[in-house]
Amino acid sequence: MLWRMTGDDAVADSALDASLQALVGRQGTVQVAGDPVDGPAIRAWCDAMSEGNPSFTDEAAAAAGPHGGIVAPPATLNMWTMPDRIEGGTAGRDTDQPQHAAYQLLDDAGFTGVVATNSDQAYERHLRPGDVVSAQTTLSGISPQKQTALGIGYFVTTEVAYANQQGEAVGSLSFRVFKFRPGTGRSRGDGPAGTTPDDSPRPERPRPRWNQDQAWHWEGLRQRELRIQRFTGSGRLVHPPVVADPVTHSMDYDWVVATGRGFLYSWTAPEHPKAPAFDYPLVVGLVELEEGVRMVSNIVGVPPDQLEIGMPLEVCWLDSHDDVTLHQFRPARIERREGTLTMGEVTVGDPLPPCPIDVTRDLVVLGALATFDQQDVHHDRDAARAKGLPDIIMNILTSSGLVARWLGDWAGDGAVLRSLRIGLGVPNHPGDVMTMTGSVTGSVAGSVTGSAAGSVTGSVETGEVGAVTVSFVGANSLGSHVHGSAELVLPEGRRGAGENA
Amino acid sequence: MWTPARQTAIVGIGATEFSKDSGRTPMQLATEACLAACADAGLDPTLVDGMSLFSMERNHEIEVARNLGIPRLQFFSMVNHGGGGGCATVAMAAMAVHTGAADYVLAYRAFNERSWHRFGSGVQGHHASPEANDVSFSWTSPFGLLTPAQWAGMFATRYMHQYGATSEDFGRIAVADRRHAANNPAAFFHGRPITLEEHQASRIISDPLRLLDCCQESDGGVALLVTSAERVQGLDQEPAWVAAAAQGVAADQWMMRSYYRDDITGLPEMGVVAEQLWESSGLGPSDIQTAMLYDHFTPLVLPQFEEFGFCATGEARDFIADGNIEMGGGLPVNTNGGQLGEAYIHGMNGIAEGVRQIRGTSVNQVDGATNVLVTSGSGVPTSGLVLSAEGA
Repeated sequence: MLWRMTGDDAVADSALDASLQALVGRQGTVQVAGDPVDGPAIRAWCDAMSEGNPSFTDEAAAAAGPHGGIVAPPATLNMWTMPDRIEGGTAGRDTDQPQHAAYQLLDDAGFTGVVATNSDQAYERHLRPGDVVSAQTTLSGISPQKQTALGIGYFVTTEVAYANQQGEAVGSLSFRVFKFRPGTGRSRGDGPAGTTPDDSPRPERPRPRWNQDQAWHWEGLRQRELRIQRFTGSGRLVHPPVVADPVTHSMDYDWVVATGRGFLYSWTAPEHPKAPAFDYPLVVGLVELEEGVRMVSNIVGVPPDQLEIGMPLEVCWLDSHDDVTLHQFRPARIERREGTLTMGEVTVGDPLPPCPIDVTRDLVVLGALATFDQQDVHHDRDAARAKGLPDIIMNILTSSGLVARWLGDWAGDGAVLRSLRIGLGVPNHPGDVMTMTGSVTGSVAGSVTGSAAGSVTGSVETGEVGAVTVSFVGANSLGSHVHGSAELVLPEGRRGAGENA
Repeated sequence: MWTPARQTAIVGIGATEFSKDSGRTPMQLATEACLAACADAGLDPTLVDGMSLFSMERNHEIEVARNLGIPRLQFFSMVNHGGGGGCATVAMAAMAVHTGAADYVLAYRAFNERSWHRFGSGVQGHHASPEANDVSFSWTSPFGLLTPAQWAGMFATRYMHQYGATSEDFGRIAVADRRHAANNPAAFFHGRPITLEEHQASRIISDPLRLLDCCQESDGGVALLVTSAERVQGLDQEPAWVAAAAQGVAADQWMMRSYYRDDITGLPEMGVVAEQLWESSGLGPSDIQTAMLYDHFTPLVLPQFEEFGFCATGEARDFIADGNIEMGGGLPVNTNGGQLGEAYIHGMNGIAEGVRQIRGTSVNQVDGATNVLVTSGSGVPTSGLVLSAEGA
């Protein structure tokens, strides 16, 4: 359907605006989760996010952790009361919630597309298995009609207050979605709106040339193997390959398959002239492999201003031509920290270790299911296309979960997430890679007070913890998918070290 | 390389104007430059019996010989590796005239590398047959590392990391060159000095290289005339003696992509040249009053000071500080404006400037310039010269 603004539409939009604004400020009834927080759901969530913190899954380890027992990952705050999980099931779902009245008005006016754009969560008290979560939603704002890359539509913002079965506040959520009219995006070419890559043919990269002296290397790349020449007599590794061992002059060689791990030795970022076969910013790095040889390769998934000589890298692949695969390198997925980062180890300005996340179809679908999000755009490609998207998209709870996991990998098991503010940009579609980068933007030592750190209040009250603020971006091939900030409560350095000793 | 110290000399220099669009063919530029070099020396061009070229020269010696009416050539050679071969053409010529292989040898470079062919566009195509030289580009070109500036950028980042050098340190080279060019009517950038702030504001070409770190493609030609000691008498110019000339290639040498050595912040091939020049000439860094250092990209000038022993490894940024490489400093460099300021003629214009310093005719004359160091392409198989006012 092709939408055009006409005089009639303008009148209709004006009436719609009035109806929408009349809903602002309305508060819904309290919705109670139909099922308590439970271990299986927590474990499914941790599996989907590759979350490794034992405080969420391991009874014994959790007992010794900062919460004294198993807690739900903070980023699950809003999933226990997702529409299909509330008491009474789907029957009670839309009846008395102001945002659904707004969504209905918008659906009826053709604004059927929906994407989540912001999720600002604050955690006051960690949820534990057996807790029954209740939520009360207030429709706090509806924007005027806006044109975005996705289309013409409205931002709808709700504020949700969460409590447990004792009526204690556990956290809050400010949530914003964009409801848009499919097909009204600022599209390039004839493709679907907004998010479609330009599919005009582009020239190929310069084709590598090889002869029988190096063919085995390029054949290896086709099989996603990074082969390094090894002279069988001396064991010497040489790259780029030669004909003879430069010391023994033996011409007997085979190869070893490299682990694909290495570090950045040097780099340059060509900007001018731009070659049409390449995407910019373009980073060409010199990678020193674990095996000791160097190779020139593109460094992907990290912007030039986040590059650091010495940063750990891992191989990934690019099918550059019908019959050529090139190695590429990206920041290595960080190992989960053993122990917990302490305040004494953190300085404002510190970069967080960049981390690539493969956006597989499984991750998108399983992430949606593990967060009880049954919106069809997260698992049904046809439905996604009908709503103006080229493919399914990752839901915001999965994005939040992945950010939380990455922050936890960096800060360790004893760090406590206090808030997570997220803005969504371009979608995460299957097949892409999202790389998390970030830095420490603030640090407050020993001043965490009250119930802010939830179940670690014992330490908080004695001033043994501090809080750091980090800002982050998760970018994929289309741009920034997720950006925002988070606060983490960390143990103080010196005292923590003394206690451990 | 063995070269006969102070037995041969550059006795004629000639050049066309330097521009972005010569309006003439490279063959005409070559012919004009060669005629000018002969006229400068006061030599009948038909007496030239040798030609010494370096690769990327498209005006072959037989074509120039036809234009000059040269009846016979009995020495002609072509040194490989482009800009690294500039000083080597003089080395070849010196050996030829000293051994008697020839009496008068012309060395030249002429091109329209701006108006005809953008030299800086690098290697974007490929040859049909994958011979070793084609294969060598397979390790870089598919990743978008295509141009000389990009190749240089990889070295520059590592040098900065290892020694704490900054973009401003690179900028000081450009500022010095442009200051000298501003005073040189033959320079493309005559009357146009730059400030460090302008350098810092210039756009990135290949991070960390900025526009003003890069020489600019030029149209033009330069020729040099070399002869032996017994023939300098009767010519019009004071000879610029070849005190030493040498070539250099070091272990695991690549053409501007020697990325696989243990350390990539030095220029060991330049070290090979330096060692020979000092040994052969009997001179050292303290004997040099001014130097014409190959400056296609500023970051590759810094390690030249280190390889020649003007300062310790990693300390070039301190050596060049406070105007030390500008007129009035301890070692004025590229007094013609260099390739950043005068023109990018693959270093042949630097040799001609070295000759002018020996003659005392530079527009930025260094007092008491009796020994001048000249280098060729950095990061490639290279060569160098020491020119001297004093013969054997």
